[in-house]
Amino acid sequence: MRHGLKAALLGTLAAGFFAGAGHAQSQSASSPGYQGAPRTELFNPALTSCIRDTGKYKKAPPYTIGFSNAGLGDSWRVVALDELKQGAEDHKDVIKKLIITDAGHDDAKQVSDVQDLASQGVDLMIVSANTEKALDPVVTRVMRQGIPVIMLDRRISSDHFVTYINASDPMMGRLWAQWIVEKLHGKGNVVLLGGQAGSSPNENRMGPAKEIFAQYPGIHILDTVYSDWSPVKGKQVMQAVIAKYGHKIDAVWSAHGLQVPGSIEAFVEAGFKPGEIPMHTTADVNGPLLMALKYKVPMLEISDPPAQYRTAIDVALKVLSGAAVPCTYTVNSQISVTAGDETPSIKSDEPFASLALPDKPSNYLVTNDLGHSYDPTTAHTQYPH
Amino acid sequence: MSVTTIAPSPRAPARRIPEQVLRLGIVVILIAVIIVLGCVVSDRFGTMNNLLNVYEQSTDLALVALGQTLTILTGGIDLSVGSMISLLSVLTSGLINSNGDLVLPVCAGVLLLGMIIGLVNGIGIVVLRVHPLIVTLGTGAMLQGLALLYTMEPAGGVPDGFDFLAYGRVADISVGASIVLVVYLLASFLMRRTATGRHIYAIGDDRHAAVLLGLPVRRLTVLVYTLSGLLCAMTAIYLVARFGSGQPYAGANYTLASVTPVVVGGTMLSGGRGGVIGTLLGAYLIAILNDFLNFLHVSTEIQLVVQGLIIMLAVSAYHEGKKG
Repeated sequence: MRHGLKAALLGTLAAGFFAGAGHAQSQSASSPGYQGAPRTELFNPALTSCIRDTGKYKKAPPYTIGFSNAGLGDSWRVVALDELKQGAEDHKDVIKKLIITDAGHDDAKQVSDVQDLASQGVDLMIVSANTEKALDPVVTRVMRQGIPVIMLDRRISSDHFVTYINASDPMMGRLWAQWIVEKLHGKGNVVLLGGQAGSSPNENRMGPAKEIFAQYPGIHILDTVYSDWSPVKGKQVMQAVIAKYGHKIDAVWSAHGLQVPGSIEAFVEAGFKPGEIPMHTTADVNGPLLMALKYKVPMLEISDPPAQYRTAIDVALKVLSGAAVPCTYTVNSQISVTAGDETPSIKSDEPFASLALPDKPSNYLVTNDLGHSYDPTTAHTQYPH
Repeated sequence: MSVTTIAPSPRAPARRIPEQVLRLGIVVILIAVIIVLGCVVSDRFGTMNNLLNVYEQSTDLALVALGQTLTILTGGIDLSVGSMISLLSVLTSGLINSNGDLVLPVCAGVLLLGMIIGLVNGIGIVVLRVHPLIVTLGTGAMLQGLALLYTMEPAGGVPDGFDFLAYGRVADISVGASIVLVVYLLASFLMRRTATGRHIYAIGDDRHAAVLLGLPVRRLTVLVYTLSGLLCAMTAIYLVARFGSGQPYAGANYTLASVTPVVVGGTMLSGGRGGVIGTLLGAYLIAILNDFLNFLHVSTEIQLVVQGLIIMLAVSAYHEGKKG
C-alpha cells in the first residue's frame, strides 16, 4: 500500500512537474550523487502545488531572451553565467538572441537594466535580483507589461513572476542548522556567517536556519556577520568574531562556501590547530572541502548547483511554448558530510573526500556540470547574441 | 623717433561664444551623437518609450548632482552625499514601515534631517576652517555607521502608490524626472538671476576676494551644504520609491558618481565656473550612454572604461576651451 501510494505520488509529480528538461539535471562534476527528483517537491506535505499557466506567453520561435544579472564578482556567478550561455548555445535553433546585462551589484543600475531590456523588446526576461526588495517594483511592472519574468537564483520579495528557479534556499538553511544542532546535541554557540545582506539566497537561508536554532534553547547565536560572498571579507569579519569569542565558538553556519576559506584561514591564523576548528557548513566551492580534509574540520556541504542557470533556459523555452510550470522550480542539491560527522537527519549522498578535487583551484565549483575540463578562465561559449 | 600707431581693426572683433554655452553645446552634441548611433544599432533605441525610460533613469543622479554642483561652485565638495542617502533612505522606509498615515510626516522629517546634516557639514567647514573634503569625508563615515547601526538589511517598506514618485507617468512622461527638471530650472534661476547665486560663483572664483568684498561667505557656504543635504534627502525618498524599501548601502555609489555629471556638464572642480543646467545635461548624457551601452550589449567592465573615457575627453575639451 505504501509503495503503491509512493509510486502514484512519484508518477503524478513526474507527469506534472518534471516533464522535459530541468528539475533533476544538477549533478556535480565529481560524482553522480543523488539522482532522484528534488527532495523539496517529494517531501512537500501540501496536497497540491502551485502551478503557473503560461498559455498567454506562448509565441512562435525564434526568441529574444534577456538576462538581467545582479553582477559577477565571485566564482559561483562566473560559472553560473557560463551555464546560462551554454544553455542558450544548446538551443540556438530557437533562440535568436540572448541579451545579457550586468548590474555590478548595483540596485539602481539593475532597475535601469531591466527597463532597458524591456525597451529592447525581449520575449522573456530572466532576472537574478541583486536584492529582493529593490527589484520588486520594476519586475512587477515588467510583468504587467506582459513580458514573462523568470527569477533565477535570487528572487524578488513578491510573487510577481512566472517561476523562481533555485536550489531551495530554505532547505539548505534548515539542513545546515539541523546538522549543527544534532552535532552539538542541542547545546552550543553558533556564529552566522552570511553572504550579502538583503539578497534572497542569504535571507532565505538564514531566516529558516534561525527558526531551527530557535527551537533549541541550548543553542546560542553569538554573532551574525556578513561576508558579501567574499573569502577576503569573510576572513576579516571572522577575525573580529574570533578575537571576541575565541574558543567559545562551537560552529559556524555559513550561507555558502564562497566565504568559508576566509573563515577557516582566520581560525588557523588565530592559532586553532587541526581538529580544533569548529564545524562549518558550505556549498559548491572546492577550497572549503580541501581545507576541511587538511585541518580536520567537520563540514556539511549542500550544493547550490550553478547548473540552475542552464535550467533557466530550458524553463524559459517551456514558458514561451505555453507549457505550465511550477511556481518554484527546484533543482537538486547534493548532500555530503565529512566522514564520521553524519547525524540522524543528515546522511551523505556521496563521500565527502571524493567531492573535493585536489587538482583544481580553491575557487573551483565542484558542482558545475560543464565537465572536468571546464575552466572558467578560458571558457568560450558560442551563444547567440 | 618714429611713432608707431596701431590702426584700428577694419572689422569689429568676432563675437566669442561664451565658455559655458560652448560647454553645454559639447554635451548636447554628445547626447545627439549617442542618439544617432543608438538608432543605427537598434530600431528600438530611438523610440519614445526608450527615451522616456532614459529620462526617468536620470532622476536620482540628477538630484544628488545638483547639490554637488552647488558645493563645487563654491570651491568645495560634499563627500557625505552617499552615506547621507543611505541613512535617510533606511530611515524613510523604516519609519514609514508600510503605514500610509506616516508617509507625509516621515518624508517631511527626512527632508528636515537632510537639511540639518547639511547644516552641520556647512558649520563644520566654516567653524573648523577645514577643507570640505575632510569634513564631509568624516561626516560621511559617521552617517554610514549610523545607517548600519539602524539596520544591516533593507528596512521597512512603503505603502502602495508610493512608487508613483519613481515610476509614475503623466501623459507617459515621468513625474519624478519632471519634478527634477523643475527643481533645476529654479536652481538655475537662483544661480543666474539672484545676488545669492552670483555670490556663490564669486566665492568659488576667489574666496579671498569675496571676503574682502564683504560677501557673506560663511553664510553662503553653510547654505550650499544645507541645500546639498536637502537634495540628498530628496534623492533618498526617490530611491525608496524606486526600490520599495531603504537599503543601508543605497547611496554608496553616489558619492563619486555625483561628481561625474557636474564635471561632464562643464563645472570646474576648482569652483566659480559652470552651472546647474550643464549638470542636468551631464546626468542625461550619462543615462543615455548607459542605455546605449546596454543596447550594444557591452559588458559592465567595458561600460566603466567607456564612461571614464567620456569624462576624460569632456574635461580635457573644457580645459582647451579655458586656455583659448
